Amino acid sequence: MKEMNSYALEAQALKKDYPHFMLGPLSFSIEAGTIAGLIGRNGAGKSTTLKSIMRLISSEGTVKVFGKDFSEDEGAVKELIGYVGGGFRFYPNRSLSAIAKAVAGFYPHWDGEGFKRICEAYELVLSKKVRELSEGMKIKFSLALALSHGAKLLLLDEPTSGLDPLSREDFCDTLLALKEQGVTVLFSTHITSDLMRVADRILYLSEGALLADEPLETLMKRYRIAMFSSAEEAASAQAVGVKRVKDGFEGLIAGREGREATLDEIMIHLEWGKGEAK
Amino acid sequence: MKALLRKEFSLCLHPTAVLFLLFSALVLVPNYPYEVIFFFSGLSVFFIALTARENGDLAFTCSLPIEKKEVPLARISAAAMLQCALLLLTALCIAIKQTAFPEELLVNLAGNSANLAFCGFGAMLLGAFNLTFFPLHFSRPTTVGVPFLVSSAVQFVLIGILVAVRHAPFYAPIASPDPAHSGVKLAVLFVGLALYGAMTAIAMRLSMKRFERVDL
Repeated sequence: MKEMNSYALEAQALKKDYPHFMLGPLSFSIEAGTIAGLIGRNGAGKSTTLKSIMRLISSEGTVKVFGKDFSEDEGAVKELIGYVGGGFRFYPNRSLSAIAKAVAGFYPHWDGEGFKRICEAYELVLSKKVRELSEGMKIKFSLALALSHGAKLLLLDEPTSGLDPLSREDFCDTLLALKEQGVTVLFSTHITSDLMRVADRILYLSEGALLADEPLETLMKRYRIAMFSSAEEAASAQAVGVKRVKDGFEGLIAGREGREATLDEIMIHLEWGKGEAK
Repeated sequence: MKALLRKEFSLCLHPTAVLFLLFSALVLVPNYPYEVIFFFSGLSVFFIALTARENGDLAFTCSLPIEKKEVPLARISAAAMLQCALLLLTALCIAIKQTAFPEELLVNLAGNSANLAFCGFGAMLLGAFNLTFFPLHFSRPTTVGVPFLVSSAVQFVLIGILVAVRHAPFYAPIASPDPAHSGVKLAVLFVGLALYGAMTAIAMRLSMKRFERVDL
């Protein structure tokens, strides 16, 4: 019996050179049926990574989706992917039904009834034009399109930016429901609280390089936040990204001392630590 | 490709693309520079590219299950369909003019006469537009104005040459009303169509190659 590929996405030596920024080379893989979060500050290379995977930009490296090489069968690989590039900012004056009709023609397994059901569940009115939708509804429309062609891998670029907290919660619920259906998700964000709720794995990008690629739980256990009375004390404890706070100094340390760190704090201190090292 | 072409016509078609097809009827106007009909065709392609840019069409299309290089192929094929429709409509209007108009109105004093040969010239002008506009546009899809300026300049230089050469003695058979000198005019028509096909094919190849390197 043929073994199913356990990785939904495998990227090898993904690299993109811009005059003032270099991404990678990045190598990572995402297990099928999991949710991975791509985090990093603005300009870290999150969107570039997702665009490189989709070959929206010309980059080096290889990408495999469920074992299929992107460069060998671009069309077939894209059939497995639902890509949402930062909300739905396309064809603002077109109705949702017109766009869906055009998109449906590209997918042999398009589920028209399923699309209508999802739109009803998301309270999307198909006669509305894209410009009449709120940011949250635009994301829901993108998801409805992706799910109706049976995407097995969702690549979402900052899908929660511009969403209010309640809509973000709804979005996270949707992701968890999709995970139950076996859909794999890689989504970039700088809102780390969303990831705490849904992500199994974290890919942490900083200045185009992967600073961490591990299960969320492992990352959270590795670091603690410790308080110090002076910067010297923090330095002797080998604290990372030491910053002044109202009661002294705070830094990230490895081990079991101190209090639990949030994903935000880990990100901030690691970034500061990189700055100090320079 | 079928789905891509359908998407081109359902989501990207600018109303002027259809409206400007009606300009083929300008050949019925006596003493008019009929070559501008083909400039308007280019203008409608410019509007399509402009609207597509504003709608984020290229990035959206590239996320669909197609190869990136198919995107320019579909856009140029859609434009070619419109151009062929324009040539056919122009030929139809010319046929109407040749049968319904008195002979003194069939010779054009403001440019080339509307006859079989004129369709060949029109095809050549459209091919020249494709060859200049699309490869420039698809090497930097955010740029629409500059490729249009360059392609229009090329078209107007060619139109200028065609109008100037009209006064040359050897040109008289080509300017004559149909069906006189049909052999020469048919030759001009076929050369024009062959040039159109060749220039459009080169435009496709160049655009596909250049677009693959574009960062969206």
